[in-house]
Amino acid sequence: MSFWRRRRREADLEEEVRSHLEMAARESVERGETAKKAEQAARREFGNVELVKETARDARGWRWMEDIVEDARYGLRRMRKSPGFTAIAVLTLALGIGANTAIFSLVNGILLVSLPYPNPERLVSVTGTYPKGAFVAMREQMRTMDVGAYAEGHEFNLTGLEEPVRLTGTLVSAQLFSILGARPELGRTFYPGEDVPGQDNLVILSHALWAEKFGGNPSILGQSIELEGKSRQVVGVMPAEFRFPSPKTQVWLPLHNDPRNTILYWADDFMPVLGRLRPGSTMEQARTELRMFQSHVGALFPWPMPAAWNADASVVPLQNGMVADVRTRLLLLLGAVALVLMIACSNVANLTLSRAATREKEIGIRSALGAGRMRITRQLLTESVLQAILGGSLGLLFAKEGLALLKLVLPPDTPRLADVQMDWRVLAFTGGLAILTGLIFGFAPALHSSRAALTGALKSGSRGTTGRVSQRLRGSLAIAQVAFAMMLVIAAGLLIRSFWTLSHVDPGFRSEHVLSARVAPNQSFCGGAARCLTFYRNLLDQVRTSPAVAGTALVNTLPLGGRVAKRSLDVENYAPAAGQDLSPLFWLHVVTPDYFRVMGVPLLSGRTFVDADVSGEPVAIVTAATARRFWPNQNAVGKHIHLLDDKSWRTIVGVIADVRAYDLQRNIPSWMSGTAYVPYNSSATLEDRRMPSEMTIVIRSTSDEAQTTAMLREAVASLSHEVPVSEVKTMGAVVSDSVSTPRSTTILFAAFAGLALTLGIIGIYGVLSFLVSNRTQEIGIRMALGAQRRDVLRSVMGEGAKLSLAGIGLGMAGALALMRVLSGELYGVAATDPLTFCSVAILVAIVAMTACYVPARRAMKVDPMVALRYE
Amino acid sequence: MGEKRERYQNRIEILQGTLDLLILQTLQWGPQHGYGISVAIRNRSGELLQVDTGSLYPALHRLEKQKWIKAEWRISENKQRAKFYQLTAAGKKQLTRERSKWSQLSDAIAGVLQPEE
Repeated sequence: MSFWRRRRREADLEEEVRSHLEMAARESVERGETAKKAEQAARREFGNVELVKETARDARGWRWMEDIVEDARYGLRRMRKSPGFTAIAVLTLALGIGANTAIFSLVNGILLVSLPYPNPERLVSVTGTYPKGAFVAMREQMRTMDVGAYAEGHEFNLTGLEEPVRLTGTLVSAQLFSILGARPELGRTFYPGEDVPGQDNLVILSHALWAEKFGGNPSILGQSIELEGKSRQVVGVMPAEFRFPSPKTQVWLPLHNDPRNTILYWADDFMPVLGRLRPGSTMEQARTELRMFQSHVGALFPWPMPAAWNADASVVPLQNGMVADVRTRLLLLLGAVALVLMIACSNVANLTLSRAATREKEIGIRSALGAGRMRITRQLLTESVLQAILGGSLGLLFAKEGLALLKLVLPPDTPRLADVQMDWRVLAFTGGLAILTGLIFGFAPALHSSRAALTGALKSGSRGTTGRVSQRLRGSLAIAQVAFAMMLVIAAGLLIRSFWTLSHVDPGFRSEHVLSARVAPNQSFCGGAARCLTFYRNLLDQVRTSPAVAGTALVNTLPLGGRVAKRSLDVENYAPAAGQDLSPLFWLHVVTPDYFRVMGVPLLSGRTFVDADVSGEPVAIVTAATARRFWPNQNAVGKHIHLLDDKSWRTIVGVIADVRAYDLQRNIPSWMSGTAYVPYNSSATLEDRRMPSEMTIVIRSTSDEAQTTAMLREAVASLSHEVPVSEVKTMGAVVSDSVSTPRSTTILFAAFAGLALTLGIIGIYGVLSFLVSNRTQEIGIRMALGAQRRDVLRSVMGEGAKLSLAGIGLGMAGALALMRVLSGELYGVAATDPLTFCSVAILVAIVAMTACYVPARRAMKVDPMVALRYE
Repeated sequence: MGEKRERYQNRIEILQGTLDLLILQTLQWGPQHGYGISVAIRNRSGELLQVDTGSLYPALHRLEKQKWIKAEWRISENKQRAKFYQLTAAGKKQLTRERSKWSQLSDAIAGVLQPEE
């Protein structure tokens, strides 16, 4: 009911009563009484005007509303009277609610908010990746949906401006934009048919690139820019909020679907595919059709495809497909903050309970004056909810700061992270959470106090009985807090141990004092292999002249960079098991001779490359795991391998230690057969049968990062004005970036666990302090009767130990049951790791006992004389 | 409270639940304001039934909420603004129901009170 309508009713009632009184008075006057007496009589007859109004109001059913306003006013008054208590309660709640709000903002922005495209519910993602040929076949055959494909993470040199720039781009099928329903800010998107050779010399710019490099000038439309030495016409600019597939993308280029180039068409990029359901089709129909397609697509490949390839491909909502990787992690975080909030709730409930003890008299008086139990409970609950709402408002501020922090801590490649913001849903969540929180933490104390009121708190000396009930309740709350905190600390402990293990994994190289940078001439620059090789040889020579440089080399892909070149090759005397490839798939690294020395990769047998290898007999080096697999119990040195389509077989001249090429977690995935290194020359070709032109330089140097970088840029610029230097990073940073995901999870869990432990400890401390102050008299009597200070200390500590141990035990049991959900995030540690469980238990016990010691000491110092007089 | 009760001791307290019936019955003869209703009940009962105003207005508002009566501000016969209550169609049905309930009740009570012979 609106305030104004209520106001009107009130006035209405007022007037009705007045008219009644006037009529009654007039009648009395007519009967001959004096006007004044008549009015008095009428008024008396009418009875208590206010009471009438109140009952009439009750009849209307908005009494509850007035009560709430009344209760809230009263609650606020009480809160003003005890600012200390209020501040602690509100702050505790603000921390709990704030953490929840911040994490919920992430969940909301990443998992819940629908994609920023029209009719997002019709957008789907095909689980599985497809090469161009298979994608084109799918596009032609699917009747239930229109499909588009994209290949992320390509790099292009933009030249023709003052200095060359390396851009990150995404290759897209021509219809991708129209499938998403994305509109350009300027110009147009691609038309169907513009992703085939001859039609595809086009490019679409991101808003940021357009603004930064082209001055935001609309005349760029229709002009050509130089990408990889090839000129492409700018047909459109996408708006800033279009960030598909990730904010990294600066340019979109059409796919180059060329069936004549068998290798590129069927083997190069395995791309994610998305689609839009056609009108009338359902997700289920699309799934069925995809299964049909999957059953015959293998036959289209120019070589046999394993039956297992994409066998479980399905169609899922695009939103789920995009965020599948982060979903579990986000939900884990949400679970963690929910625990923190539970602890905050128990903490404030405890505080409220101990205050309830001091309020027993007040509540007793209220109940003696006729307040019902419901009424008192409701009033106490209103106070709790009020506190929680204050806490929620403050928590909202915390959450705003926290969210900014979260965005820094989380890996930047987290999907949709840039879109995350606090919207009405987050506000509604926080509001609901605050009220719920208030009810949860207020319920037990309110019920308890109102019961206490019934038992007659007005009688003096009744403290003992209600005190004991309250003590038990408070004890249970403290146990719950320790248990929840325990679970979070165990989770954090497991993650920290896992992360520690991970960061002590030997990556197979020495990252100290090594700087890496991408130095990538255009493909056309490297059209002639000789020109490219000369450029790089000159570059290495130039860098080597710097006195601080201890060594420098080139490699096509850096270890731990998240991408490695693949190459099919033949292995001498290799007899594949039935169903396995005749030519196993290898990771291929193309390096200059000094690479192993610069990176500190240990040589296990044979020799590393020498300068003579570049132009001499074809050679190769393999890793230890590869040697074990193909030549068990033999020396791999002297054996031969052959890159498919290469002129001649290569002799293996050395075996090196295993290097974590893709990520730190695994050495080599099961679907890769081995790892080979070949020297950089014109016959060192990748899967596209081309010599790599995009190399990364590694420099071992004694000077600092900035100096080395400047030196490198100068060296490159002196050789060519068309070659950009990008991705400058120390190898240390490369290693640390490769574990940014587990690191962020660990940091967040550690922070929440710290918060939980602090709150839990405050809880135990509070309970014991209250116990001591409640038992001062008893302790005094005991001491007067001859108890030693030591006994008192032991008794209080014992009480604390009982609570802590119960909490620790329960927490351990809970953790055993729940930690399985963490196992996906753990590396090298079992989810039930006994060492972690035990050390966390000991840690929590020590911290808890320290918290007990303070009130216990206070108890020990009780002066019997003072205590006996104390009341 | 006690003092008030003394003043009314020579009157019959209205049985709980019958006030609604009395109000509905009174309104059967046409729209009336609160004061008019209390006067009508008093007069028709030969001054025996006195409607406590503290019960009358809550009852009126309760009945209005049930949509058995509706209220309207009008000018009274004495040229005074007053809130007039009027029976609705649902109220008429309710009146029939309450009346039959009442006659059953009074028959039953009469049966109980009849001296056995």
